[in-house]
Parts: sequence; C-alpha cells; structure tokens
Amino acid sequence: MSDQHNQYENLADRALRAALDLGAQWADVAVGHGHDIGVTLEKTAVKEADSSRGQSASVRVFIDGAMGYATCGGLDEDRVLAAARRAAGMAREGTPDPDFHDLPDPDPAPEIDGLFDPAIDAMTVDDVVAIAAANLSLARELEKSVNLSGQIGLSSGASLLVTSTGLRLWRQRTMLEGEIEALIAPGDDKGFYYDFDSGRMKDDCHAESLARSAIEGARRMLGARRIPSGRMSVILGPLATYDFLSDLASSANAESLQRGRSYLCGKIGTKVASPLLSVTDDALVPRGLYSGAFDGEGARRRRVAIFERGLFAAQLHNSYTAAKAHQPNTGHGSRSGGISPTNLQVALGERTAEEIIRDTGDGLYLAISQFSPNPTTGDLSASVDFGFRIQGGELAYPVESTMISGNMLDLAAAVDAVSSDFREEPGSRMPTLRLRDIQISGSE
Amino acid sequence: MPDPTADIVQRLCDEARRRGATFADSRAVDSVSSTILVQDTRADKLFSATSFGLCVRVLVDHCWGFASADSVSWPSALECLDEALGLARSSARFVEERVEITTPRPFVDAVRSVGRLMPDDLPAAEKVRRVLAFETAGRQAAGKGIVNSICSYSDAYQVETLANTLGTQIRSETCRAVLGAQMVVAGADGQVQRAAEYEAIVGGPELLLDTPAEELSIKASNKALALLKARKCPAGNFTVVFHPSITGLLVHEALGHNAEADAVWSGQSLLEGRLGEQLAATGVTIIDDPTIPGAYGSYKYDSEGTPAVRRVIIDHGRLVGFLHSLETAGKFAVAPNGAARADGYESKPIVRMSNTFMERGTVPFADMIADIDRGIYLEDGHWGYVFVQKGQFICYAGQAHLIERGRITEPLRDVSISSMTLDTLTNIDAVGDDFEMDMPGMCGKEGQRAPTDAGGPHVRVRDIVVGGHEA
Repeated sequence: MSDQHNQYENLADRALRAALDLGAQWADVAVGHGHDIGVTLEKTAVKEADSSRGQSASVRVFIDGAMGYATCGGLDEDRVLAAARRAAGMAREGTPDPDFHDLPDPDPAPEIDGLFDPAIDAMTVDDVVAIAAANLSLARELEKSVNLSGQIGLSSGASLLVTSTGLRLWRQRTMLEGEIEALIAPGDDKGFYYDFDSGRMKDDCHAESLARSAIEGARRMLGARRIPSGRMSVILGPLATYDFLSDLASSANAESLQRGRSYLCGKIGTKVASPLLSVTDDALVPRGLYSGAFDGEGARRRRVAIFERGLFAAQLHNSYTAAKAHQPNTGHGSRSGGISPTNLQVALGERTAEEIIRDTGDGLYLAISQFSPNPTTGDLSASVDFGFRIQGGELAYPVESTMISGNMLDLAAAVDAVSSDFREEPGSRMPTLRLRDIQISGSE
Repeated sequence: MPDPTADIVQRLCDEARRRGATFADSRAVDSVSSTILVQDTRADKLFSATSFGLCVRVLVDHCWGFASADSVSWPSALECLDEALGLARSSARFVEERVEITTPRPFVDAVRSVGRLMPDDLPAAEKVRRVLAFETAGRQAAGKGIVNSICSYSDAYQVETLANTLGTQIRSETCRAVLGAQMVVAGADGQVQRAAEYEAIVGGPELLLDTPAEELSIKASNKALALLKARKCPAGNFTVVFHPSITGLLVHEALGHNAEADAVWSGQSLLEGRLGEQLAATGVTIIDDPTIPGAYGSYKYDSEGTPAVRRVIIDHGRLVGFLHSLETAGKFAVAPNGAARADGYESKPIVRMSNTFMERGTVPFADMIADIDRGIYLEDGHWGYVFVQKGQFICYAGQAHLIERGRITEPLRDVSISSMTLDTLTNIDAVGDDFEMDMPGMCGKEGQRAPTDAGGPHVRVRDIVVGGHEA
C-alpha cells in the first residue's frame, strides 16, 4: 500500500465519518489526482504544449433518499471536510425519495487488465511532441498543401472510493489519444477530414500515423456536390455505426425508461430492430476504453446484451434504478446519478463492407455521423457531414448540403446488412451497416 | 485592506519577468456553484462545487508555457511558475511559429458583474421550494398527459484575480444563474413529446423570483402539448423564415466561430483572407457585444485583462473584423478587443464569442411571409454546430410551422436545417424589424465552456435544406 493510498484513505475516512455524523444515512467519498499533457498542432506545425496536475474530492450524502453531492478542488483536509458538510446540507434540503434503497455493497472482483499503463504514466512532454512530429513528417511527405491541425494528449490518474457500506476501491487509469484534422483547399474547393485513435495502453494507440488517414480522407472529400431529395439505401461506415448504436444503447438507460422519456419506453421484450442487429454492452473487455470491474458507484459491472437479434432484451441500471425495478444492478452508474453505456460489441455479418457497397448500387455512404436524435421521440434530422453518393456500387463523390432523417427505431428496423469486417477501438468492434429506404433531403 | 490573492498573482508575474519571461500573466479563480434538480415532484439531487486555484502563463523566447495549481499559496505558485517556464523553454525546440503579442496599455480595476441578489441571499430551502413551484405549475399546465418533468436551477459565483507584466491588475466578481424546465407529455394516442425552456442571466437567485412560470415551465408544457398536434416536417429545399432564436444559432454557429481570429490565423476559417469583402446580403450586420447589461454572455474584462468592447463582424454585408486575444491581435496587428476567455484557472484564455446577434432590419414579419407560396417557419432554436473548415453548419429547431400562400398554417415537429455559411448569408433576402436575444447557453470550444447568448430579428433565407421526414 503506497503512502499516497494511505493518505487518501485517511482523508476519505475522515470525510465519510463527518458526513455520517451530520446525519447521512448513506454516503460515499472519492479522492483522487490526475495529470494531463497536451500538444497542439496548427498550420502543420507544433503550436504549443501544456501540462496540468490536479487533485480533487467529492462527497455524496443520502438522507431519506435525497442526494447531496459536493466537490472541491485540492485535497486540503479543510476543503474536503467542508465538502462533506455541504453535501449533508444539500441532502437535508431535498425531498424524501422512497425509491432510493441503498448504495452498493462490497462485491470483490479483480480489476480488468490493461487499464493503467506505466509507460503512458511515465511519458514526458517530449514523448508526446514526438508523436505530433511523426504526424507532421508524414503530412509533409504525403501532401505539401495540407493544413494539418489537432491534438495529441495523455492523461493519468488514480482515485479511491470509500462508501458507508464498507466498499474501498482504488483505481488507476491511463489514456493516450490523438485527433488529427486535415484541410486541403485547392482553389475554391475544400476537402476536410479527421481521424483519431486512443488507448488505455500505449500499444493500443497508433496516433503517430493519423495524418495518413486524415489526408486521404480530406482528398476524398474534394469536389463535393449537391444531390436531390429522395429515399435511398444508406450505408453507415464503422464510425457512423458507432454513433448510431451509441444513441440506441444510451436510450436503454433505465432512468430514462422508468421516467418515460426514452423512445424505447414500453418496448422491452419486443422487436425494435432488424433481426440482424445484436448489440452487447461489455465493460469487462481487457484494455477497453470504457472497461472497469466496477462502475462509478462501486457496483460490479455486468455484461448486458441490450439488443438480441432485434429484440430489446435488457436495460442499463445504476443502484437507484435497479432497486426501484427490483432487478439486478448492471453497474452502469456514475456518482452524479447518471447511467451510461460502456464498450459496445456488435454481432458481425458474413459479407465485407466492400461487398455490401458493391451490392447496393445507388445510395449514400456516411463515414462519420452526428445523429443527435430527439431522445424522447427518437426522431432524427441530421446533417450529412462526411457523406458520399454511392453509384454503381462505388463511392462516386462526396455530398454537401444533404441531410438524413427518420426515426431511430425505423432506422434500426431498416438494417438489412451487417459487415464481417470492422473498425476496432479498444473494447469496441464496429462493423458497417446498410439501412434500406431512408429519407434523404438534398438541395439539387 | 491588501488582497493576498492579488499580491500572489502580481508577485508571480514579477518573478516570471525576473526569470526571463518577456511577458507573463497569472490568474487566481475562486468559485462556488450549486445546482438544484427537481424531477417528478421531488428535489432528489442537489449539487455543490467549490474550487480555488491559480495559473500562470509565460512567454519565453516567443514560446508559451502554461501551468496551473489547485491551491493559491506562494510555494504552489512558484512550483507552477517553474513548470510553465520549463514548458516554454522546452517548447522552443519544436515550436516553429514564434508568438508576438500586442502590448496594450495596462488596466487596473475592480469590477462586479452581479445581480440584485447573491447566491447566499436566498436560503437553499427557499430555492428548492421555488424550483418545486415551477415544476408544479408546469405539471398542472400539462394536465393528465404529464409523463416526466424536470426543473433545475444553478447559480455560480466567481472571483477572478489577474495580473500581467504590463502592469494590468483586474479583480472581477461575477455571478450567473440558470433556470430550466423540461416537460415530457403523452397524447391520447400514446405519442410522447418533450419541450424545454431556459432562462439565464448575469445575476443571482432573483432569477427564481422574477421569472414567471408562464415564461418557463408552463411555456415548456404548452410547447410539448403543441408538438403532439404537429405533423412531421417535409423534406427538401425551401425558403425558410428564422425565428430570432434560429437567427441566433445562425450568427453564433455559422458565422461567429469563423470570426474567431485564432481560427482565421490557423487557416481553418472560411473567412481567412476575406476581410473587407462583401460576404452577406447588404441588410446583414452582425455584432458580438459583451457589454450588454445582464446578458448571459456579458463581462467587463476578459481573462487577459482587456476591457470588453462591442465588436462589429459584418457591417451591411461586409466583413469588417474578428474577435481577438492579445496573441491574435499581435498577429493581425490590430488592437485587442477583449475576446480571450478562460474556463476557470485550469484553462488558458482562448478566443470566444459573448452575446452575438444580427441587428434588426426594416421588414415586418407579415411582409416577410406574404410572398412565400410554400416555406417553413423555424422556431425554438436549440443547438447547432459548425465545421469552420468546410463552412458547413447545422441548426436544430424544436418546432416549426408550414408557410402556405403567405400564411402561417400547420404546426410541424422538431427539425434541423443544414447549409453552407456563405451561401446562407448571401441568400438572406429579408431582415425583420423586430429583435429578440434569448439563447443563453454554454458554448464549447477546445474542451472549454463559455457562457454566451445569441439572437437577432426574424430573417428570411432562400434555398435552405430542411431535414424533414416526408417527401
């Protein structure tokens, strides 16, 4: 046990005791620290480097089910104890909530492998600059006229969670990530694209060559044209698939379902999507970006098959919603009261993305999307920001001033092909999807 | 009585210069905020946050170094300075473009941007009672169809103390408050719709006392009920009329982000090299103004200690200026105009908008729609985003109406529009004689959030793609 761990434990215990002395029926305390390094690229050069370090604490207090939550920057004992007092004071002003049951009990499990990499923790600004510089060299070699920008960064931190139920959880996490944007602007034309990569382990993040895919993408985006409105097949590339399925999975949030504000309300146990669509939330994947043995409240995370062959099979719970529904807690809670999906795994099909595009004839391909549907109705009306017209089974040209619309459940039901190949980000595998007969608004 | 925080940030700047910095600034930020969340008749979550930290930014050999600490003491300030100087010196090895900042005359001032009440002037129990009352009023307006109701109130008080090596010393006290309501209702046919309403001010809990429920939770319920009767929006290219809230989204997303001088300098903005050109219809004048009393995006000094001033971006269609920090003002060889804002002590100041709006024109609303045979009236602006690099933006409207033969007819559901910025600005063919700025929100950029507001008059735009649901 390190000195730091002991120091955090002493501090958290004192804050927990203070909260209980002030009338908390349930309470938890998290104390932790983190450091970040960031290097910014601009105009195909390194612009600047930043570094920051910080410590913080947070205290949750429950009185008759009402939650008071207080945070403070820094770990001076006075500040942390003041946070405990503020949390208790806030909880006392809340309305009693009989649906609140308890906080998670200790349920020991080994931490998931590969979430903390000492190699990332030990990286210096120069190491991060070296990744940025590799992209700059690549860019100058590939495309002299490119305007490359972006950010390479890392974060490393640790925290201790202690609860009034006796839970003590020490967590360490690292992340190395990069996003590179490429702009090519010959004459009045503009081609813009970006790519990113991230990993909790250094070996999982290949940020040094992002310039290649960003530049190739920017070249492909040159010569965008307007297209007419109509209904057509839409192919979601892996990143658009991720956006689409993340929205669907987020709507399986039990709080939104219990409160009646999710478009999946009343649909559990029914067919809501194409039988080709099976999506599992899996926080237990080693090295996964969103992996962890425990959620923010310290509850054991469980694998959840949300959609099974089109059936809405299961929802994502935190301690509050699970107790309210008398169901097992799936471990998807955060300490501020939210519920979020983690890594998503999708059942794969039999044909490659290329074969599906070839088979499509005419349609629209979305490389990256930002659907942002209405979370209550599921209606979406989104801009096609990185899209291509498919003609003759090939990506013919990029499109501009084009929009896609529909309802998330109609789109989910319209999936008629899932690819066998996929883009992998640590923890998640995203295939290509084809959706039949989707409304596209154009301006030609 | 001497202010120990002001003393630390000033001494730190002096120490930075002694150690070789050609320019340095330091900010200490002390903040307290609280949020009350009421849902389905219960105040079930109450949040409180405090932080008090300091940062220092140094310019050494024309390279920046920046570091922050989560406490405000002389030893931690010196550690912070060591780190910033180290970063700046090591950056000289790889940074290619040398930074030159403009060096305006120094300002020494202490200012308050607060309202009638401070956060502690209204006890927490009374705040909870009033938020519950908003929720009750909204639920009653929704009637039997109510499914889910959320009302929330937040206030945040902050003292920013800054100094720089030019001699500037500013102490800014700011209090902001936000009040929101979201109502979800169901119709007899089982259809469910939601709508939201927000109010936000530079001020405090007087927002809870002064806001009528009719303008917040009851309005949100009525909007949601109206959506139950609305049909899906048609798809395609239309002449559209923007409600002032959509005009606000247009000027903020489509133009404002492109007018931030850091984006212009880096070659990302479509406005690069276009200063002085006619880029919009002659009736279009677009302003960013942080000096409007009480507006959510207002402030008196930016996070570099530059006084906030009104900034004209588009003047009768002509691009006349950008938003600047000390650094971009140096690069463009112009006077700084106080647009460098930082999100707390952990963030560097970057170029941001404040309250961005289009000035009113001369066309009455009735005349604007009179000659539209079939178009869309977009209302209730919610959000948008822009790719400055492509000049493409999107705006989401919470509700809309069909315009047929010069009259507002059927209500339509929520829908988005997308277009190219410059096409849209030149396709504006009528600017209304009215004005409303009521789009307070938090604008995100490079991981930082800044309070902003936006608005303008009704405007009519030809040739906009509406992402409707029906052919």
